[in-house]
Amino acid sequence: MSRRLHIEIFRYNPLDPDSVPHMQSFYVNEYDSMTLFIALNIIREEQDPSVQFDFCCRAGICGSCGMVINGRPGLACHTQTRDLPEHIVLHPLPVFKLIGDLSVDTGTWFRAVGKKIEAWVHSDDTAFDVRAEEARMENALAEQIFELDRCVECGCCIAACGTARMREDFLGAATINRVARFYIDPRDERSDDDYYDVIGNDQGVFGCMGLLGCEDVCPKKIPLQDQLGIMRRMLALNSVKGILPKGILDKMKHKGCCHEKH
Amino acid sequence: MSLQNVTLHVPPKDKLSGRLDVLMMVSGFLLALFVGMHMVFVGSVIISPKLMNALAWFFEELYLVQIGGPVILLVMVGHFILGARKMPFRQKEYVAFRAHSKMMHHTDTTLWLVQVATAIIILVMASIHIYTMLDTLPITAAKSAARIQHGNWMPFYIVLLAAAAIHIVIGLYRIGVKFAVVTRENRPKARKFMVYLLVAAAVISFLTHIRLSLLTI
Repeated sequence: MSRRLHIEIFRYNPLDPDSVPHMQSFYVNEYDSMTLFIALNIIREEQDPSVQFDFCCRAGICGSCGMVINGRPGLACHTQTRDLPEHIVLHPLPVFKLIGDLSVDTGTWFRAVGKKIEAWVHSDDTAFDVRAEEARMENALAEQIFELDRCVECGCCIAACGTARMREDFLGAATINRVARFYIDPRDERSDDDYYDVIGNDQGVFGCMGLLGCEDVCPKKIPLQDQLGIMRRMLALNSVKGILPKGILDKMKHKGCCHEKH
Repeated sequence: MSLQNVTLHVPPKDKLSGRLDVLMMVSGFLLALFVGMHMVFVGSVIISPKLMNALAWFFEELYLVQIGGPVILLVMVGHFILGARKMPFRQKEYVAFRAHSKMMHHTDTTLWLVQVATAIIILVMASIHIYTMLDTLPITAAKSAARIQHGNWMPFYIVLLAAAAIHIVIGLYRIGVKFAVVTRENRPKARKFMVYLLVAAAVISFLTHIRLSLLTI
């Protein structure tokens, strides 16, 4: 027998002076393989056209429909209602600027951190020859880079991060993962010292408290925990270069799951 | 490097953040190691009070207690200051984190608050403990037993031991996570191992206390 879902949605329009933040209840009949995204669309089409939420691809690719679902950040299109209890509470993602109801502006935030970490391949542009054959890359390495590049910047890991909630300038898992992506890219010519300048501070890797909220909510299952660990260890060892003997540093660098600069 | 930090024409290369992070990890690990050894030392009373007395005599003859005690206190205070850089002392931070941990219902997130609380408990109580011990040297099983049996120190030690064991177990797990020793693959195993470690510490401490409270002085 299908359930009648009680969906409680956070309502607030910051642009309307009369609007007050409050929760509003909606009821939807559940059917097989219904996602939260479908339920929200039914609410908007049949009950209240003013409910604001973002979506684009409905397949977990665009990263627009990130929201807090019963306390955990996740993608609405990726979440089946059958995996949730009858009472579903929805909030917009914290940390990001609220546009209205469940819709937040993740773009401005991600652009700002992208600029901070200089999220592009740093190479000698003057040496670029348009007529030369494109540089080749091992397939395994390309796949490794792609694995980290799968991030859709939905903002779930940032909203699930206790550090990001406490400290506005913390870069967050998605950003550090992005740096890790350039770190393993052989076309990026930045050295360990250069990467230290970018994320070797309390806004970057050393601000992370290892709470693993990011790891546990990431809808794309990107290996955030491992990437954070790898980058932190690399930069921590870099910071004590010259203090500890080189032999020990090299040994620690190659222990465990550690990708190296190719 | 953010523009706000560039106050000189040539910003200095500064590795402080990383070094403090390493120092926090190393000091925490050493303290954990010390507490482990401490537990074995006091636990030796389970086998025989004579063994504990002999060990105590050995450490004191080498001045390990007289010098080591204050050093451990210093390392602990240092470790606290390093950890306190992350603690939510400002009301805004605390409110934000509390709201976050309530929202998430996420063990690893909640455990961090436990970590902060136990840190403060240990800082105060371990300081008292170190002072009392150094004030009443030499250490003997009979004196420890008297403290437990007549000195009303039992509740004090139960709280201190529980706080230390919990703090260390969470701390070791966190070091593992931060430096990619605990990975996505072995995380469930690591968590299980930490629970076993906690149980082992609890059992040894429990037996030690039973032995001390039954010891005829």
